[in-house]
Amino acid sequence: MSAPTWKTYLFTYLGLLGLLLVNTLIAFLNLGGFGTVIEIGLATIMACLVAGVLMHGFYQMRLIQIIIAGGVIWFLIMMSLTMNDYFTRGWLPFHEG
Amino acid sequence: MSDPVALELREHFATVEQQRGTADTGMWVFLMTELMMFGGLFVAYTVYRFNHPQAFAEGSASMDIMLGSVNSAILLTSSLTMGFAELSAKLGRQRLLGILLLVTILIGLAFLGIKFTEYVEHYQQHEAPGVWFNRSGPHAPAVQMFFVFYFIMTGLHAVHMIIGIFLILGLISRNMIGSLSAAYHTPVSIVGLYWHFVDIVWIFLYAIFYLPGLHK
Repeated sequence: MSAPTWKTYLFTYLGLLGLLLVNTLIAFLNLGGFGTVIEIGLATIMACLVAGVLMHGFYQMRLIQIIIAGGVIWFLIMMSLTMNDYFTRGWLPFHEG
Repeated sequence: MSDPVALELREHFATVEQQRGTADTGMWVFLMTELMMFGGLFVAYTVYRFNHPQAFAEGSASMDIMLGSVNSAILLTSSLTMGFAELSAKLGRQRLLGILLLVTILIGLAFLGIKFTEYVEHYQQHEAPGVWFNRSGPHAPAVQMFFVFYFIMTGLHAVHMIIGIFLILGLISRNMIGSLSAAYHTPVSIVGLYWHFVDIVWIFLYAIFYLPGLHK
């Protein structure tokens, strides 16, 4: 993939502002728990745009892309195992002693 | 003037490209450790929010959505000017590079100014955690926890912004003495990576602290 240009940065920036606006407007709707999923989802898309275009993640050599993927996967493991613990804590009866 | 590439190329690298690739890799590894640090805080926030959803919605409702949104747009703009600065450095347009770096600093300071205004407002409304916190209601203790997370996470983010501003000041001084050029501009790329990462952190901070309180 060729390196980003001035135009690429400008369109990415406009896209980010658009996503920010959409995310803020959606937050005013009553979507229950689904609203939070959309908010975090849109924030993730924005983060991918910043990391991929402005930080050249899409254009970097394979080693760096593996480092990025490793960091993100490690974070997701930390998040999912912790939440798994909190969700399932009450499933089994607790016996003292 | 001496050749900046020859001056900056360290002896253990064969080419400036190899040196740049190594610097990029090292910076990305560092940023992933930053991800782990902020990630731990995000995990802790998520646990507390699942346990106290109403209190966290109540705390979030106290946020000034206008200031938060404007600040988000401001920070995204600073990422654009930083990106343009990186392109200018690559093209060897030193004067434009200096201007764009200065603009990035000014936008960063505007962000910090607005953030400080918000902190003062929270303090005046007795929402700062600790002895200053004063709120009644069944969820008050958990609302205080919301503000503990808010101040720690946005505060840590602000510290990163301040560090970023000093790093950009360093770039401006290096640019002024002529140690950056089209052939050697690795420091601009590295500081740019840091600045954009801080932007990513804010994107998520905005989503978890400002938006939940808007749900009707």
